[in-house]
Amino acid sequence: MNAYELNSVEALRAHLAADRRLYEPRPDGQGGLHWQTVAADDAQAFEPGLEPPPFSAKAFFFPEREAMFRFERGRFVAVEPEPEAFTLFGLRACDLTAIAYQDRFFARDGHYQARREAALLVGMDCAASCTGGFCAALGSGPAVGDGLADLVLIPGASWRLLVNTAAGRAAVSGLDLKPAPRDWTRAREQTRQQAAAEQGDAAPLLAGIAALNAGRVPPQTWEALGPRCLGCSGCTSVCPTCSCFAPLDLPTDGGLRRERVWDSCLYEGFQKEASGHNGSPSPGDRVRRYWFHKFGDGFKREFGRYGCVGCGRCDRVCPGGIGARVVLKRLGGA
Amino acid sequence: MNALALSVLPRPMRLLQRYDDGEDARHFTFQLEDIRAEDAGMMPGQFFMLVLPGCGEAPFTYVSRPDDQGRFSALIRRMGKLTEALFELQPGEVLGYRGPFGQGWPRFYGKQRILAVAGGCGLAPLAGFIEDVARTRSGTHLQVIYGARHVGARVLSRERARWSGALPLIETLDQAGPGHRQGTPLAHFDTVFGQAPPDAVLCCGPEVLMEAAARECLGRGLRADQIWLSVERRMHCGVGLCGHCYVGDSYACRDGPTYRYDRYRELLRRSGCARELDRGELRHC
Amino acid sequence: MIEVVPSICSYCGVGCGLGLRVQGDRIIGVEPQSGHPVSQGQLCAKGWSTSFAVDPAQRLVHPLIKERGAFREAGWDETLDLVAEKFREALADGGPTAVGVISCARATNEDNYAAQKFARAVLKTHNIDHCARICHSPSVAGLARTLGSGAMTNGIVDIDLADLILVIGADVTENHAMIGARILRAQDRGAKLIVVDPRKTRLARLADWHLQLRLGTNIALINGLLHIIFAQGWEARDFLDRRCADADALRRHVAGIALDEVVALTGVPEDQLRAVAHAYSHAKAAFLAYGMGITQFQSGTNNVIAVSNLALSCGQIGRPGTGINPLRGQNNVQGACDMGCLPNVFPGYQDVADPAHAAKFTQAWNTSLPTAPGLTSLGMTKAALAGDFRALMILGEDPVLTDPDQNHVARSLAALDFLVVVETAMTETAKLADVVLPAAAFAEKDGSFTNCERRVQRVRRAVPPPGEARTDWQILGALAQRLGQPGLRWPDAEAIFDEMVGLSPMFSAMSYAKLDRHHGLQWPCDGEHPEGSPLLHAERFPLGKARLLPVSQVAPAEVPDADYPFAFTTHRLHFHYGCGSMTRRSPLLERETPTGLLFMHPDDGRGMGLREGQGVRVSSRRGVLETRVHLTDDVPAGTVAMPYHFKEAPCNRLTNDAQDPSTKMPELKACAVAVTALPPGQAPRRLEFDEPAHERL
Repeated sequence: MNAYELNSVEALRAHLAADRRLYEPRPDGQGGLHWQTVAADDAQAFEPGLEPPPFSAKAFFFPEREAMFRFERGRFVAVEPEPEAFTLFGLRACDLTAIAYQDRFFARDGHYQARREAALLVGMDCAASCTGGFCAALGSGPAVGDGLADLVLIPGASWRLLVNTAAGRAAVSGLDLKPAPRDWTRAREQTRQQAAAEQGDAAPLLAGIAALNAGRVPPQTWEALGPRCLGCSGCTSVCPTCSCFAPLDLPTDGGLRRERVWDSCLYEGFQKEASGHNGSPSPGDRVRRYWFHKFGDGFKREFGRYGCVGCGRCDRVCPGGIGARVVLKRLGGA
Repeated sequence: MNALALSVLPRPMRLLQRYDDGEDARHFTFQLEDIRAEDAGMMPGQFFMLVLPGCGEAPFTYVSRPDDQGRFSALIRRMGKLTEALFELQPGEVLGYRGPFGQGWPRFYGKQRILAVAGGCGLAPLAGFIEDVARTRSGTHLQVIYGARHVGARVLSRERARWSGALPLIETLDQAGPGHRQGTPLAHFDTVFGQAPPDAVLCCGPEVLMEAAARECLGRGLRADQIWLSVERRMHCGVGLCGHCYVGDSYACRDGPTYRYDRYRELLRRSGCARELDRGELRHC
Repeated sequence: MIEVVPSICSYCGVGCGLGLRVQGDRIIGVEPQSGHPVSQGQLCAKGWSTSFAVDPAQRLVHPLIKERGAFREAGWDETLDLVAEKFREALADGGPTAVGVISCARATNEDNYAAQKFARAVLKTHNIDHCARICHSPSVAGLARTLGSGAMTNGIVDIDLADLILVIGADVTENHAMIGARILRAQDRGAKLIVVDPRKTRLARLADWHLQLRLGTNIALINGLLHIIFAQGWEARDFLDRRCADADALRRHVAGIALDEVVALTGVPEDQLRAVAHAYSHAKAAFLAYGMGITQFQSGTNNVIAVSNLALSCGQIGRPGTGINPLRGQNNVQGACDMGCLPNVFPGYQDVADPAHAAKFTQAWNTSLPTAPGLTSLGMTKAALAGDFRALMILGEDPVLTDPDQNHVARSLAALDFLVVVETAMTETAKLADVVLPAAAFAEKDGSFTNCERRVQRVRRAVPPPGEARTDWQILGALAQRLGQPGLRWPDAEAIFDEMVGLSPMFSAMSYAKLDRHHGLQWPCDGEHPEGSPLLHAERFPLGKARLLPVSQVAPAEVPDADYPFAFTTHRLHFHYGCGSMTRRSPLLERETPTGLLFMHPDDGRGMGLREGQGVRVSSRRGVLETRVHLTDDVPAGTVAMPYHFKEAPCNRLTNDAQDPSTKMPELKACAVAVTALPPGQAPRRLEFDEPAHERL
């Protein structure tokens, strides 16, 4: 890991964009903030703002609709992704943690891995907390964790750049970078602590996780949360670690194409079998299942951490007002 | 392509023949077009994904494992869109196959006493196991209790006829006429346990039946780790990714569908269903 | 490569912002727009599933001509020549009163403007209508009589400012989910929530008060509330004096009402009536929203008037956080009305009978215009049955599935000499057409939608239309050319919008550039309101002073009897929309509900020995269908309900076409049915039209 002074983030961006397609979160002027292509000659200043894009980077690796195979003339033909190389510029710590989580979940999924290998990840420490984020409580931010990105942008009086990987080193070769002064880690730690402190007391959230795993949540709590879930699929769509999918067969000329499409475990039909039997029949059952998947110790054992990275997107997207922060506080009795 | 990519791409198979075998149920014989080494290694209790182009795919258990020609059979009940379309297919038509997936029944060696409890179509996942015991005469003492709603609802008629000569098979009906036993499989536990308690119990059928059978066994002094269940779940990928078949923090397609009862209870307890478990309600998490 | 194009959701009338995720020529998903004033970064299940609805794999991509009962693909020129010829023949044969257009509440303002201009300037008829007839025509008529204007008086943002929210006959979390979500947030911050509905909707279960009135007793209930309010002196006297005319007639009318009769009629206990009357009249700002549980009755217009009476009497209008707010069903039903896709008005609600307006449009369009009044959509289908109607164009609607008394609709369409349907996908109505033309979906065209709070918002072309599909306005322009009228050949959607703005005073200060800058603008937007009008009637009503009109309870035309013992109502599901032509293409939404359901109270189910999911046969005096029963206390005992999205179980085969006298709104919300069990294990069948419908009679 090497740290450098970065005189111009825009120059770095232009350098990276010259080699491969580069995406950066940009406002669209109509209330949206999306990952959008930035060309090498784009003159717009790099102004990341406080809020992460509402849609995580998940779809770059695990798209919401993806062809898996075709069926033609009695044969099944695999559809292999052929991703072009690309750079995600300005990924937050929470999203990078989520990518690492999904790397593990999809370790043997060829489609995911092909896209993942095509990506250069440029992370960015958060200089201040976004509204509603609680990454500090879950150990996924606000500073980018070690080894999660190829390159990391560190905000401060001036930008600094961490080069973490061989791919990162290759990507910045040709740029004139001067080493950062030795005390760069101290400034970074100060920023981290300050941003983490802005997220408030983690104790009520951790109490919720503890109550969940200790079996101290009464069934009535879930049944009360149930009607507030409209089954919209918003939380699972924006969650950077949600990964459930369903098959979809689409007719083509002379055959069909099988896609896998994002699914949501909050749908009543998610577990419903052809016989009508449903493993999670009530809305409360489904809400419980969702939060167990995010905060259950069993999953933590398998994947090394909780499925929630504290990005706060579910709190923002939920029409019923039962995102992670609200639910954890309720489970913890706060 | 890596191993996973291979397992998610269906292989073509042909429908060879089918015959009615129980109420709204048919016994299908399929033939895989290209045979792989792992096909013959399938364990009874495992399942395969049947791909019906245009209708999606669904999991079914094997009645017989693929032979050296790639032929195997499965008992399928008409339930939804996919099975309705499957029932309309003519022999010779091409479908897709992926598998085998999941964990089968445990292997037993030596002179153990095994009790298999099946209800309705739940006899199908046990068929391969029963067939192996009936055929190999390994010394394992297997006793089967099979319950169905009524005479016509019974499945696997040809297999049952064969087994009844080779091992003790108790058949019982919810609505029995003259000459048939009456009651659920549990009503005949006295007979079975009277001789000597089994060393292991395998259950497959409606979840209410499995849970009741498991509790009855516990009440008769068996340990939870002597009991196995085969659960049913909606499944799509078969490789532990798509998420539909969860049981607590395990995936039935990868870690099941066969679960040892103590582990199954632990899964439910861990995912917040402890109260339902204590009340004896069978609900999933 | 992914590109995100900001647009507006094409489902309901809420008008949420969404970003269309485009990969190549396909939309693969959507992103929420955090800064959108209506949706604030949230969407419902339908919005999230947009990519499936517009998927080219299941779309109509070629013009189709029916020959010997079967469709064949044809080129545009051949097809348009045929359509033009058929309309010419129909005009020669029956004159302009024998042809008409049914436009589309899902299409853009620009498409709708083109549709009414096509009817009026090319076919020379005012026979132009759309489906507002069967959702909110009573709102337009009722509020026109009491206030002088029939749209939401306030904006969606006003929910944030209310300290009480009263919802009548609207299943808001399911049908207008982002308004429902906003109501739940308001409740979280302390606002009181009152729901009036015969069904226990999600919102009703979460409400502070749920008045579970008997089906079709809205006026009785509201008059009961008014009786209490006036008797207690809780009315807003100052407001009544300053802003309303003739309050005394209403005061006398409700004074004569006996509260115990109200309780007996509605089934709502008196203490609940008193509590709600007190809460609504004493709220600092009470936001009243209503839906089709008010309008879809033969007393629809009077129901709306009753609602208006309540709000006016308590002064809960004309201020932030208050208002009379009809929740419109379709994404652009407001716009289709605004654009003049109604038989009696030009764009901007300019009366066709007013010579000054007629002269203005005659001059602007440089052609003669009809003087005979036009027919409503039901009027057109009735005329067809009577043999007085020859040729009809239907743009993007599926009346066979969505209109009352389905057999009647199908028969009347069959009675036409010529039916042309412009659609994105094959529908039950399109199957009956002589010609089907492939239309571009909302993501494939530029234009604008107007949401239920009068906000005109831009949609943008994100992908090209599949195959040979074209926008409605392009199709109408090419057809007009063939019929000798070149005035519908616009270069782009913006030119249509500008033409409309130039002719409609209420839109006169709007332009595409300005809509972009402001997240849309709420009409009226003119010299006096250059930034639009979030709040209507702050100073005065269009009528000057508002009117309080005494109305009396009218029972539904058909009530349960010995032959048809259940009250029957219809509703919608969160996961589906309209006839399902969009939502049912999502594998996830389609999985949610198996091809239709009959909702029945468990007590009724027990009485009939029904099990959950068992097949049932449902029949009314008009038709019969088979479906599965869902036992739930969502409905009260004695009342059964069906969602109308499913062609397998088309509940409008059962509904009554008894009509509201002033608007011809059919009574879709109430009729009487009989339910019989199918043998256990027997799956419901899809019954064809000609099966005996009246077997019980």
